[in-house]
Amino acid sequence: MNNNNTENSTQALVSLKDITKVFFTDDVETHAINNINLSINKGEYLSISGPSGCGKSTLLSLLGLLDTSSSGSYTLAGHNVSDLNRDERSAIRNKEIGFIFQAFNLISDLTVAENIELPLTYRSDFDATQRAAMVNAALDKVDMLHRAHHFPSQLSGGQQQRVAVARAISAKPAIILADEPTGNLDSKNAQIVMALLDQLHQEGATICMVTHDPRSAARAERMIEVFDGKIVADQLTQAPTAIAV
Amino acid sequence: MSITLDIKYAARLLHKKPAFTALTIFIVAIGLGLTLYTYSLLSSLVFKPLLLNKDSAVISIEAEFDPSHLSRRGVDAYDFLTIRNELDSIDEFGIYENDTALIGKPQNNAATRKYNAVQIEWNVFEFSGVKPIMGRALIAEDHFEGAEPVIVLGYDVWQQYFLADKDIVNTSILVDAVATRVVGVMPQGFAFPMTAQIWIPIAQKYLTPTDRSRSWLFSYARLKTDVSFDVFSQELALLNKTVVKSLPDNMRWRLDDFEGYLRAVPYKKASITQFYSIFITMGVVVVLILLLACINVGNLLLARVNERFKEVAIRIALGVPRHRLILQMLLESIFICSVGGFLAVLFAGWGLELSNTVFDQMFMVNQEKPFWWQVSLDTDAIILLVLSVVAMIVITGFIPAWRALSCDFNGVLRDGTRGSQGKKAARASQILVISEIFLSCVVLVIATILLSTSYSAGQADYGVDTKNRITATLELPESSYPIRSDTEFELADTLKRTAFYYDLQDVLEQMPNIEAVAFMSSLPGTGEGASFFEIEGRAAAVYNENPFSNNEVASRGAWNALGMTVIQGRDFSLDDISEEIDTIIINESIANDFFPDGDAIGQRVRRAMRNVDREGGWQTIVGVVSDTFHGSAMRTSSEQYSSYFMLDNVGFSWINMAIHYSGSQVLAEKSLQQAINQVNNNATVYHIQSYDELISQPMILVSAISKVFLLCGVIAVFLAASGIYAVAANSVSQRTQEIGVRRALGASDSKIMQLFMRKALWQLVIGLSIGITLSLWVVNQMTDTMVINQGSYLIGLLGIPLLIVIMVIVATYVPTRKVVLMEPSDALHHD
Repeated sequence: MNNNNTENSTQALVSLKDITKVFFTDDVETHAINNINLSINKGEYLSISGPSGCGKSTLLSLLGLLDTSSSGSYTLAGHNVSDLNRDERSAIRNKEIGFIFQAFNLISDLTVAENIELPLTYRSDFDATQRAAMVNAALDKVDMLHRAHHFPSQLSGGQQQRVAVARAISAKPAIILADEPTGNLDSKNAQIVMALLDQLHQEGATICMVTHDPRSAARAERMIEVFDGKIVADQLTQAPTAIAV
Repeated sequence: MSITLDIKYAARLLHKKPAFTALTIFIVAIGLGLTLYTYSLLSSLVFKPLLLNKDSAVISIEAEFDPSHLSRRGVDAYDFLTIRNELDSIDEFGIYENDTALIGKPQNNAATRKYNAVQIEWNVFEFSGVKPIMGRALIAEDHFEGAEPVIVLGYDVWQQYFLADKDIVNTSILVDAVATRVVGVMPQGFAFPMTAQIWIPIAQKYLTPTDRSRSWLFSYARLKTDVSFDVFSQELALLNKTVVKSLPDNMRWRLDDFEGYLRAVPYKKASITQFYSIFITMGVVVVLILLLACINVGNLLLARVNERFKEVAIRIALGVPRHRLILQMLLESIFICSVGGFLAVLFAGWGLELSNTVFDQMFMVNQEKPFWWQVSLDTDAIILLVLSVVAMIVITGFIPAWRALSCDFNGVLRDGTRGSQGKKAARASQILVISEIFLSCVVLVIATILLSTSYSAGQADYGVDTKNRITATLELPESSYPIRSDTEFELADTLKRTAFYYDLQDVLEQMPNIEAVAFMSSLPGTGEGASFFEIEGRAAAVYNENPFSNNEVASRGAWNALGMTVIQGRDFSLDDISEEIDTIIINESIANDFFPDGDAIGQRVRRAMRNVDREGGWQTIVGVVSDTFHGSAMRTSSEQYSSYFMLDNVGFSWINMAIHYSGSQVLAEKSLQQAINQVNNNATVYHIQSYDELISQPMILVSAISKVFLLCGVIAVFLAASGIYAVAANSVSQRTQEIGVRRALGASDSKIMQLFMRKALWQLVIGLSIGITLSLWVVNQMTDTMVINQGSYLIGLLGIPLLIVIMVIVATYVPTRKVVLMEPSDALHHD
């Protein structure tokens, strides 16, 4: 196991130290995440894989501040985010993190453009013109500009996921967290979405992706394997993008 | 076997969520119970035609309703003869005059007792299809001039006053001190035309009048089977035009302000014209409550289907036939609605029993309960219940079934996650919440305004001191105290009557427990109804543009016993018994408004009538007394201006009295009876009650209905609060994943809360706008008979919307907050 990247990097964008997540169901105590240490450097493309129930989605939730750890500390972009309150965590999510979900999670009553604009409306530093420009730029990047005024239900699964990618990148977050981004897609659309992620990485985005598709995992430059809530493998891959970088 | 499994499964689901099961059954029971109760009440009291053992409905032909006195008006016997002769559509017809009679036993010196009498046409018993249980009915010959006076007794009179004497028929009794032969006894419960306890043949002169008179008669009729009520009404309207044209000037007082006179009206409706709009309002309110209940149950079951999407999807994947799935959904509704329907019968039955008790209490003093005011669950009501239960099963069962069938089961099975509530579901939720808001708003505003008005009327200052006061009605037998009108004896006869009253007052006031006694035609708090009066030198061009006041007859020195005072001038005195100067006392409001310089004393006024001939002579104002209010403060017929005429100049054969006593009320009542026996035991005293009870009498029905409205209001609050909470919780629950997405994208708690609260406020604006508009319209329908004070409007139109705003905000805030407080990761994976 190669743990060099997890320990002493001075460039670390994300740093987890002794993170634990325990669930209690009746009298049963389940350690979903068990004392994990992890660093992710800026610009890294990381995949997390492992069998079902191993804790990889929980780990992604903790990384995305969608959940709080039971113990341990978490530093994101130099800030300790372990003890933030709910609204402070919301603000960090909004500015620093972009999410891509397996089930797309677009809001069906909002148009494509409105879905992408949504996270931008939660902050006050962009006016409407700026937001429109950012939405168009994001849509252009995923080649969905022509569908800006459609509703999600009018799009195919692949198109919906591309919109989700556009939403994730619209505010230029520090890190993109993708949870099984191709899980609900056919192979052709999966290929398109993965190519998009590759392209984002090449442009400098930091990406952390949960997947149990070995082909998708292989596209990342660094691959982490989780088992029973612990990191059991952390290694660099010979991914094309990694090689390119 | 397979259906047995479905039944078992449905039972298990209901058992698994006992709170849900109990709540839905309770809501169904309340909705159906109230509907059943109100249907039975309104049907018995108002809408179900009075048939009286025959196929065609009984109608009443009478004069147009008098809105200024809120009372029915009688017709001239001459005009009834015209109707009888000219309208072929009438199959059966009879006339009557409501009256009271003092019944006595000649053989011993037993006290007389007052009963509700009706002077009526002989055909009444044939008309009603009821025969006497003893003796005979009236016959045509009983009306003839010079015929022996006869009477038919009601069952209760026979039982209670004559102690069920089996030989009562053909015996002679005293009716208003006249020997009269009992010819028959009617069966128990018979009181046609309305509240009759004894039946006396009406004088022949009213059956075959040759000229117009001041007679004040009513009628009962049945139409020929091929004539509808509407057609007959048109015929009567045509005849009315002819009659109105032929009315001489001295009879035009019979017309209303729109030249209306004769009208036909369903028999039951005729007796409650002044309350008709309130009954209709009650019906509207209950229908709204039923709607609320349906929406609530439907929504609860819909919410349940949303929870069961996964289970439904699995069933569909396993190949469940469509009808089995619908049946599965219907089973729960069938159970809930059937049990709710059964409870509704118990609830309605209990309510109707309670209503009968209230009616008995209401009419205990005056014995004027219409005989059909006995409510029960009849066959129609049970049929309505069965139909309602079936309708509720269909509405509350098929909608969830349709929702279950229309879901994307493949999507649900593959991945339950969807970003947001569907558009259709969202719109349905909004409509549900808006409906709940406006329905509860209407019910609550009406209930509150009515309750507040009723309460204010009860608390109103009627200008009298009611503490330690009893009231009663005193009646003299006219045969012992006749007035020979238009003869030289008229004044002496009048004074003989009034002498009785003053003698009684003297005897009473000498008793140690009696402080003072007053006689008045109608005591303050009762007897509303105003007439126009003109002030000398200030008469308006048209009679009805003059001011109007309530007119009462009062005894000398009446004021003290009522807690009133003479403010200016003097009281009536013996010197006022004079034919030259007619005196009058006015109240403070008239003095202030029309004689602001304090110069009322010595001014002259007189009554202003439609026809010049009937204008009375001038009356000189000799005194000003403190203000009182005649009639209930919540009736439009009540008036703040009052004028008083001296009893000595009028000499009624009956009069109302108030007694100011010290000590116990029971002793005061005994003292009254003793005093009457001492002065003249032929007089009869009845309607003895405390002054507070007297004041509550005019609005006793409205007070009772207000209590039903209060119940409706409480139920509406419960239904609205639980319904809005359930809709909001369901809506928020369906949007849990959307909330998770928004949170993941960085929305703060407050942003999410704002999103839902803004939507709730928007729904409030729409719901309250519709609700308040509809409430105002319904309340406006009641203002033809009721005075609704500003305070009630304020409470109803500001307080209730505020309550609903708070209710909706809390109902939205609580479930939203619950979801917002979930970790975003949990919300995103919410099932």
